Amino acid sequence: MFFRQAGIFHINYAADRALFPIPADRWMVGTLLALAATAPLFMNTLYLSSYMLPWLVWTAGALGLNLVLGWAGQFHLGYAAVMGIGAYAAVHGVRHGIPWEIAVILGGLTASVIGIGFAFAALRVKGLYLALSTLALQFVMDWTISHVPAISGGTQATLQAPDIRLLGWPVTSDAGLYYVALVWCLLVTTFMLNLRRTALGRALVAVREKDYAAAVIGVNSFYYKLVAFATSSFIAGVTGAILVNTFYHAVTPEQFSVDVSIQALAMVIVGGLGSIIGSYFGAGFILLMPGAMNTFISWAAAQFGLSLGIETLAHLPQALYGALIIGFLLVEPLGLGKIYNNVRDYLLVWPFGYVKK
Amino acid sequence: MKLKLASLTSGLALSLMSMLPANAADPVRFAMCLDLSKVYTFITPQIAQSARDYAELVNQKGGIEGHPVEIIVQDHGNEPQRGIECYEKLKREGVMVFDTLSTPVSRAVLPRIMKDGNILIQSLVGRGDAIDGTVFKWVFPIGPTYWGQAANDVEYIKQKSGGSLKGKKITFLYIDYPFGQEPIGILKTLAEKEGFDLQLVPYPLPGNDQASAWTQIRRNNPDWIISWSLSNMHVIASREMTRNGIPISKYIAVNWFNEVDIKNIGADAAKGLKRGTNVAGGSNQPLVQEILKEVYDKGKGNGDRKFTEDVYYNTGLAIYSIVFEGARLAIKKDGWPLTPEKLKNGFESLKNYDANGLMAPITVTPEDHGGGGKTRIEEWDGTKWVPQTDWIAGFPDEVWSVVKQQSADYAKSEANK
Repeated sequence: MFFRQAGIFHINYAADRALFPIPADRWMVGTLLALAATAPLFMNTLYLSSYMLPWLVWTAGALGLNLVLGWAGQFHLGYAAVMGIGAYAAVHGVRHGIPWEIAVILGGLTASVIGIGFAFAALRVKGLYLALSTLALQFVMDWTISHVPAISGGTQATLQAPDIRLLGWPVTSDAGLYYVALVWCLLVTTFMLNLRRTALGRALVAVREKDYAAAVIGVNSFYYKLVAFATSSFIAGVTGAILVNTFYHAVTPEQFSVDVSIQALAMVIVGGLGSIIGSYFGAGFILLMPGAMNTFISWAAAQFGLSLGIETLAHLPQALYGALIIGFLLVEPLGLGKIYNNVRDYLLVWPFGYVKK
Repeated sequence: MKLKLASLTSGLALSLMSMLPANAADPVRFAMCLDLSKVYTFITPQIAQSARDYAELVNQKGGIEGHPVEIIVQDHGNEPQRGIECYEKLKREGVMVFDTLSTPVSRAVLPRIMKDGNILIQSLVGRGDAIDGTVFKWVFPIGPTYWGQAANDVEYIKQKSGGSLKGKKITFLYIDYPFGQEPIGILKTLAEKEGFDLQLVPYPLPGNDQASAWTQIRRNNPDWIISWSLSNMHVIASREMTRNGIPISKYIAVNWFNEVDIKNIGADAAKGLKRGTNVAGGSNQPLVQEILKEVYDKGKGNGDRKFTEDVYYNTGLAIYSIVFEGARLAIKKDGWPLTPEKLKNGFESLKNYDANGLMAPITVTPEDHGGGGKTRIEEWDGTKWVPQTDWIAGFPDEVWSVVKQQSADYAKSEANK
């Protein structure tokens, strides 16, 4: 009823290959876009700057990781390190007088070059071995950053990020920074949406399913794995740079430590491998849920007159958050994105559910 | 079930709604965005407990110049983005004084503090160069920096060696990440100036394996070992010292060493061990005694009574007695309602304040937000800590030259924005 398919005819290639053939999807995307574009008008600045902005940036990051993990099927445990490379490169670039737009792209390219160089070595192994060797990338980067003062910015290991100047205009307001994040997130999303229907995307999926089977049908699996790593590293690098410029305003090694890599991995897995909307859900879940749980538990405790110790109040949300992750993955191992799809599939034929059977 | 779920969701929604800004009310409010669940849990419970206990005591006596104290504690799990969220949320609720007690979070919040002009308390964590009040106007790292502490340790060794360090061998043992690496610069400078032989011995994270470090130390046979480690790493160090036949009396720990660690080493085995500290430990301090009598004996304590014996309890008490005193001076001088500017003036007029002998006397000025950076060396005699020195601040010129050099770099990058 909501997702009506009546009246959709695939009469030409363009219509057949449309991103959203069902009008309901188009309406939904359009509404969400309109809401996102006007968010600074109705949303209070706390939500805008502390929840929406990091969520959008991290979604872009999760999409980049999803490219290599969900599309190409290659493990990556050093994703935060790649983001860090981009962030450091961009910040150093701007500090040396390079315009911000170019510095951010430079950050992406640096991350891409280092990512691809590392992938050359790492991709000689597969599966869990690859996971471990990408973990090595994380530790090598951590070590390098904390031992080379020229990179980390001296013994304090903090490098202040200069303000964003977009075509010479300083962007410092909450709304301005939000739009920078929004535009980047939308760019990455559009790229990923289109990736599905390109030769590259199909080759990546072939490599994911079975790399030697892909080789048999003429897909050079090593080449496509490298492309996946390079592209994902570029997205990671730019995302890292944008994260630092719009949110942290200073770059430090802990922002891109191994914990963050695990978090990024969790975003993709909880969200759903190879799912774009799942990346949005996953990033939101992993990033915002601990804080929301915290507030919720404090609220509930106050509501029911329980006086919990501050430590219990800190640990209870963590336990609940962990339980939620397990719960969601038990209900649907393919992640939040798949749960959304299940609901949508149900509504596609509702109220004529028997059609499916 | 459905109803329950609905009420849960609406609760969640409500709790999200409750993040809306509120008007600044009558009480003086302090935000503690702490790491209560991850890395800093070896200190945060005691520090939060002492701050809330002291607030209770102050409130019993009528508050700060008639205004009750309110302490807001929230967990950030040592994650920068959650620390920022805590700051942004409470800032909108009218809180002006923030304490993160975590180096990563403090670094992440600092740019916002400097932009918004709120007060950041970052005793013992965060950027050391923030004691330069001319650059870091809004940051108050009251207490010693790690550079200052290292310099004070060297000063103590100098006193012990009869005023000259020529030919002495000092080993600097540290955990190989920014916390441990921080004092290297100042130690190198001092080694050159004083002519002692400095050996740098790092050991890797997470600090459970120090075997190779201690083999190196045994080979070098130093006169003193200055150790930049956190809690349990000291226990591992003590085991390695026994194994390598190095007397524990050569060991000078950084301030992150408490009674739990002593217990884990063994009170007897730890005899002779030294630590640098900016607070007097133990519950026989007048302020702690008062809290025990007025708060705990009346059943109003904010945690387990046994934590009050911990040196980190006194550390928290020291930090918050300074904060409350600063706020009191602010209200007294410039009147209610408080603004960050008034609070800043209040803090900057702290003079020789030592909370009844609890800590090194603190004098904060617009130039020095560290309050003098004094520490003393204490020795464990098997049952208690015995002070080995007065409150000292050694080599101030060298320490300040490092501070100025770093803060100038920050100022430069701010100017280039």
